[in-house]
Amino acid sequence: MRRLDAHLRYFLRAALHGLRASPMTSAVAVATIGVTLLLVGAFVLLVSNMERLLDRFGEDIQVSAYLEGGLSDAAQEALVLRVQGAPGVASVRLVSEEEAMQRFREGSAGQASLLEGLDENPLPASLEITLTPESRSSEGLAMLVADLDGVRGIDELGYGTEWVEGYARAVALIRGIGIGIGVVLALATLLIVSNTIRLAVYARRDEIEILRLVGAGRSFVSIPFMVEGFVQGSLGGLIAVALLYGLFRMLMPGLEGGLELLLGFAKPEFIGAEGVSGLIVAGAALGTLGSGLALVEGSEA
Amino acid sequence: MRVRGVDPAHPGGGALVRLFHVSKSYLAGSWALRDVSIELEKGEFAFLTGPSGAGKTTLMKLIFAAEQPSEGQIIVLGRNVGRLGQSGIPALRRRIGVVFQDFKLLSRRTVEENVALTLDVVGTPRREARSKVFKMLKRVGLQHRRYHYPLSLSGGEQQRLAIARALVNEPEILLADEPTGNLDAELTLEIMDLLVSVATHGTAVFVATHDAVLIERYGRRTVRLEEGRIVEEVPGRLGSP
Repeated sequence: MRRLDAHLRYFLRAALHGLRASPMTSAVAVATIGVTLLLVGAFVLLVSNMERLLDRFGEDIQVSAYLEGGLSDAAQEALVLRVQGAPGVASVRLVSEEEAMQRFREGSAGQASLLEGLDENPLPASLEITLTPESRSSEGLAMLVADLDGVRGIDELGYGTEWVEGYARAVALIRGIGIGIGVVLALATLLIVSNTIRLAVYARRDEIEILRLVGAGRSFVSIPFMVEGFVQGSLGGLIAVALLYGLFRMLMPGLEGGLELLLGFAKPEFIGAEGVSGLIVAGAALGTLGSGLALVEGSEA
Repeated sequence: MRVRGVDPAHPGGGALVRLFHVSKSYLAGSWALRDVSIELEKGEFAFLTGPSGAGKTTLMKLIFAAEQPSEGQIIVLGRNVGRLGQSGIPALRRRIGVVFQDFKLLSRRTVEENVALTLDVVGTPRREARSKVFKMLKRVGLQHRRYHYPLSLSGGEQQRLAIARALVNEPEILLADEPTGNLDAELTLEIMDLLVSVATHGTAVFVATHDAVLIERYGRRTVRLEEGRIVEEVPGRLGSP
């Protein structure tokens, strides 16, 4: 126990010593990790906002179930419950005959004459069904339609298959491009960071050799370097998050107008807590593993 | 120190270091060491001498497993050096103190930290390590320099620092490659007396040196190497210092 304690103290002392003894090399490693993770973070930011945009569009995929005339309020409520239990349904909203008429009036302003002379409201009540994100595909839609087909009280189902297929293709395309760029970016980050750390370790090969000559085992030599890598990587991750946030805040006011025009929806959002912690953890992992791998290579050479 | 007559059937018995017909070649056809058989007993002090390039450093490197023999067997502290695994080599080195000809000091650590390194490796608690380091630095006359860095020390001081690091862990074997090469006459004798006293406490001490005057003065067993072969072995004089 005393021996373990002494070793732990040594590891921390040696790591701190390493960071202090070569501030320039440490700074370069931190900056490299910071800048590469900034690129990764910018990409994550872009993808997360694209996903939100797609979600937003996806909410527009609705199925309308037109109800038969003369259903009682209780029967309509029962239908709402029935539809809510159907596969792939996220939410159901009942649109009464009056509300349908109201919408029609608002939608056809200037053509009010169309409705003149009608004694009664010709528009049926309907259920507006929103799909869960997983069901926003032609297959999901087909399953729902099959389930609701023939349900008593539902007169007709209205939905746009082409719109759904187009949406599904757009989602697949954007995700595919996202994964492709993400993989390339992750590989580039790994290579750049591991090379930077390898150079830092190489610069201290004399120290490693001496440690080995006085009887230090592999882990005794590696752990202080890995602790250093952990500290450098975490700092790099923090710097990446800070820079990304700074750039986001600086650039957004200028871009907002254009984005709204282009996308027609609310402001882009910064990466969430998961994204922030993900970047810092990625930095820490890159630093730690990078150092470990560089040492394994070094000791085999 | 015995040159011949090693019994391979009883490896390691009594002796801390045993080499059986050891040869080392770095290039095909040229031998750094050729058919060397020697033993080093517990508490024995011996010199290894010979001209530059005779194989003294190679022989030392083989004993602490920095090199592997091309032929023959080496038994150190009861372990066959040729069959040590990845974890076996560090464990063996922790029981051997080595004074390197080029010192091999960590330039970015203080004198005190350099000496403490061997204690850190075996996990000696900090307080105990500090006390041992201070006593050791005092023995080699460097206590006043303990917070300095190696590059600010003179050649002789660096050499004494290397000796302090090799001895602080009370090794069972001490290998010293030209440990007095940079010291003046007075310091040389002080350091040699220190090494001799280490041997009287049970450590096997093996000193490689060119210094014929030193060898003559101390009158210990001396092995002479030339072109990788043992060409002469002089037994120690009775009553030598």
